[in-house]
Amino acid sequence: MARVKEYGNAELEEKLRDTNYYTTDSNPQFLEDVKKLSRTAANMCYQCGTCTGSCPSAPPRSSYRIRLFMRKGVLGLEQEALNDPDLWLCTTCYSCTDRCPRDLAPTDVIMAMRNLAFKVDIVPRNFLKTVQLIYNTGHGVPNNDVNRAARVKLGLPADPPTTHSYPEFIPGIQKIMDFYKMKENADRILAEESK
Amino acid sequence: MSGNMKQYAFFLGCIAPNRYPGCEAAAIKTSEKLGIELLPLKGASCCPAPGAFGAIDLKVWYALAARNLVLAEEMNMDITLICNGCYKSIWEVNHILKHNDELRDGVNEVLAEVDMEFKGSIDVWHLIELYYDEKICGVEKVRASVTRPLSGTKIAPHYGCHLLKPKKERHFGDTENPPMWFEELIDALGAESVQYRNKMQCCGAGGGVRGFDLTHSLDITNEKLINVQEVGADAITEFCPFCQLQYDRGQVEIQEKFGQAYNLPVLHYNELLGLAQGMTPQELALDLHAVDCKPFLEKIL
Repeated sequence: MARVKEYGNAELEEKLRDTNYYTTDSNPQFLEDVKKLSRTAANMCYQCGTCTGSCPSAPPRSSYRIRLFMRKGVLGLEQEALNDPDLWLCTTCYSCTDRCPRDLAPTDVIMAMRNLAFKVDIVPRNFLKTVQLIYNTGHGVPNNDVNRAARVKLGLPADPPTTHSYPEFIPGIQKIMDFYKMKENADRILAEESK
Repeated sequence: MSGNMKQYAFFLGCIAPNRYPGCEAAAIKTSEKLGIELLPLKGASCCPAPGAFGAIDLKVWYALAARNLVLAEEMNMDITLICNGCYKSIWEVNHILKHNDELRDGVNEVLAEVDMEFKGSIDVWHLIELYYDEKICGVEKVRASVTRPLSGTKIAPHYGCHLLKPKKERHFGDTENPPMWFEELIDALGAESVQYRNKMQCCGAGGGVRGFDLTHSLDITNEKLINVQEVGADAITEFCPFCQLQYDRGQVEIQEKFGQAYNLPVLHYNELLGLAQGMTPQELALDLHAVDCKPFLEKIL
């Protein structure tokens, strides 16, 4: 089957596109990277499907199938895996990991693939917002005025004894995040997106 | 040590202090009556969120969690906390770095930039496991602290995910033949814990999914709420403020999006324990809850 059909119609090209896998699509290093980041032997997956069967995010709720991501990992199908928006539907409940008969951690494979996706700028914006909030305040969910008033009524300090009360700790947090260029990348991706 | 009190550095996280401060106030006051003193962990940050943050870069997740751990190491004190998400970050990173030289060296290289070093000298506990632990507190001590039994109420337990799972890296045993220890702690308050279908299922909030696709995450929550309502529970209790937020604010969102109403109060175990120890709803800031707790309070006050 021809990989490109040249029907001169984008809709038809998409509908009838060749979805076979070719060895040229495969990047064996992808599997190695996934194994290293996830700290699980992802190559041992024998595709029984217990993971998808255990998954609260799986069909019929969505098209997210964790077994498919395990397969794409083994086959080195980096682009297929990282460009699939379903990658971000895992709630990280670890039910699949508790039930995997191969004693693997599919949840951690998903986490590894998300890390690899971020490296090539594929990341939903809510994740980047969390990065910015932690960078600026130390908290992913920072305090607000309604809550400050409620805290005082409870006899608690208006701000908790975290970075909120001790902002002198925030530069240290920023230094750690800057070490990995995390905030820089988050800002850049958000800026490019809003262009 | 002050008297016979056992002291811990209290890691607050984000959602308890910044959205449900009653959980924080209750944890401090109720623990005091159980011989556990919670001391502030000054300068702590977000754990950081295992799903919403760890998904981006695990290396930074390790390093920032380690920074929080070092703050407690400097106090020479074990950490306790009241959130399953925080437990995953703080307990798990502590565990991983204690056992993985390569990752620990990597983290310490970064921490050196801020004059810190992870030594692995402390342990991390969820407050709920300290309550259940006979050596620290135990169910009988919890029972003995009750001055206002929650008699006549049916309460659905939600264990959440990250305290117990993945089970092979934890110490809470099987997650399939459902655990019953949380029920013992609920029953000790004079309430009746109830069983419901798929008790061990996730609330739907984690992994950044609440932020990424709210409707999807609420559909999971709704499934749990249907199962809880089926057995006639008066309230849900949990030991994770993020699950609490998902069930509590989630019910308002579910009503808006799906048109289904449950009016099921959602209380952190420390809030429940506070009520059973005689704290008032005002002392627990229950008015900050999205779902009105009144129907439940009328049964016990």
